[in-house]
Amino acid sequence: MAGYSFTRRRAIILLSLTSVLLITLDLRGSSAVNFTRSAFGSIFRPIESATRVVTRPIQNTWNGITNYNDVLAENRRLRDLVAYDEGATVAAIASVREAQELLALNGLPTLAGISSCTAQVVGQSPSNFTQTVELNRGSECGIKVGMPVLNAAGMIGKVTDVYSKRSVVMLITDPGYSLSVKVVNTPPTTTTTTVPGQVAPSTTSTTTTTTTTTIPRTTTSTIKGFTPGGTAAPTTTQPLLPGETTPTGTVGPNQPGKNTSSPITVPAGADLPLRETGALEGRGLTKNPVIRFIENQPRFGSVAVGSPVISSGGATSLAPPDIVIGTVSRVVKRSGTLGPLLEVKLSANFDNLNFVRVLLYQPITERPAAP
Amino acid sequence: MIERLVVLAEARYTRLILVGLLFLSLQTTIFNEMRPFGVSLQVMLLLAGSCGLAKGSQTGAVAGFIVGLLYDMVLTTPMGLCAAVFAVVGYLAGFVHTFVHESTWWSRMLASLGVSVIGMFMLPIAFTITGAEGVLTTEVFLVASVVAVFNAALSLPAEWLCNWAIRDEALVR
Repeated sequence: MAGYSFTRRRAIILLSLTSVLLITLDLRGSSAVNFTRSAFGSIFRPIESATRVVTRPIQNTWNGITNYNDVLAENRRLRDLVAYDEGATVAAIASVREAQELLALNGLPTLAGISSCTAQVVGQSPSNFTQTVELNRGSECGIKVGMPVLNAAGMIGKVTDVYSKRSVVMLITDPGYSLSVKVVNTPPTTTTTTVPGQVAPSTTSTTTTTTTTTIPRTTTSTIKGFTPGGTAAPTTTQPLLPGETTPTGTVGPNQPGKNTSSPITVPAGADLPLRETGALEGRGLTKNPVIRFIENQPRFGSVAVGSPVISSGGATSLAPPDIVIGTVSRVVKRSGTLGPLLEVKLSANFDNLNFVRVLLYQPITERPAAP
Repeated sequence: MIERLVVLAEARYTRLILVGLLFLSLQTTIFNEMRPFGVSLQVMLLLAGSCGLAKGSQTGAVAGFIVGLLYDMVLTTPMGLCAAVFAVVGYLAGFVHTFVHESTWWSRMLASLGVSVIGMFMLPIAFTITGAEGVLTTEVFLVASVVAVFNAALSLPAEWLCNWAIRDEALVR
């Protein structure tokens, strides 16, 4: 300790003040701190890569010891899954294209219109208290802070830090993450039972023809009720009045004064899947995220376990609409006007993140304010 | 010019930074993948504590601060947060050990275990103070236990390394 120019008390005060100064600068978004981190990343990257190469055999040995049985079981399961999915993929692609065309025709936003950048996960946070991963693409690919990141299964998070050739993604499981989502609930079905020997309850003389278009159902995922393009809404056709015929030739069915008898096709809204919005919040890697602020609407009914959860979109949302997030795994009912609390089982597997897609969609809330 | 560079390279904190970079690369690669009981082992915390054990509280605090600052560079948490916590850990490691009359290998391991537990509790508390949510959970007990046992097991070689890294300049020449 001899030759040390300042005393212990001064050293401690100096260290404390430096820490407070650095924390304050970083929390206020200082560009100097970001530059320092970026420069350090450039210097540290080769050292890290060299260490990764050297320590790979040790990692492989560790994984061999701890995960061998799991890998075998997973391999078997994946083979079955691949065989199952191959047939469904072709039909699913066709359905998704049809859905996108339909959305585009109606002027609705679709994911197809958003450019993306494919990146690989090169590391995860070494800390036990933050859920982040690092990607090998950065601003050179057009990535900006706030852009949503997804993999083949669904949403995984949002970009929080961007450097020239790398970026950091906050996972959807991080307690600091929040996203507005939609829960697609299947409406309760009403069944009419007729006891043999009794008169049927329906005695009205009005004839109603119900046309139900049934397209062969193709299941593209295990999410209940979420088969894009797989089903069509049942339609109700109003009957013709006595003595009337359906107009032929170039005359349209909707003639003035005859709207009551024209065969107008209306969707039976009561049978369509119902949607309700809420806010998804992460709770760490060990707990499933939850959805709050779901309203208690009688028409929405009780939320079924297995109902799909997708991003809701909107002007201030962190992600465009209709990105798959997961399914409802548990419904916690709360008293009073509080809506239910929904636990969500995420579609993406966060233990094995590899290739991901960054949607080049920067939400309005994440855009830097104009000076 | 070259002489200045040599002097700089011989400075004990330069050697500590180099050792810190080595530990940081291990932290972000092998110890990031190997997670016993789902816990990421914290070799940077081990280094900070070992510096305090090796060279006393004052040097331990400065060394812990440097090690923590290196760790802050790769984390998304506010810069300076780990530096502050690790400085406290380095200081405590040196301070606690001054009470030991004749230090033995197990007393050093015990001290390393204790300061690691303190460090792993202080980190989530510091994160919470700076605005992070959901980090102060019961899981901290598991994390602190696993990290402390690991750090205690490796404290002796780490202390030897710190003794080498931050020895006085006069001894180097």
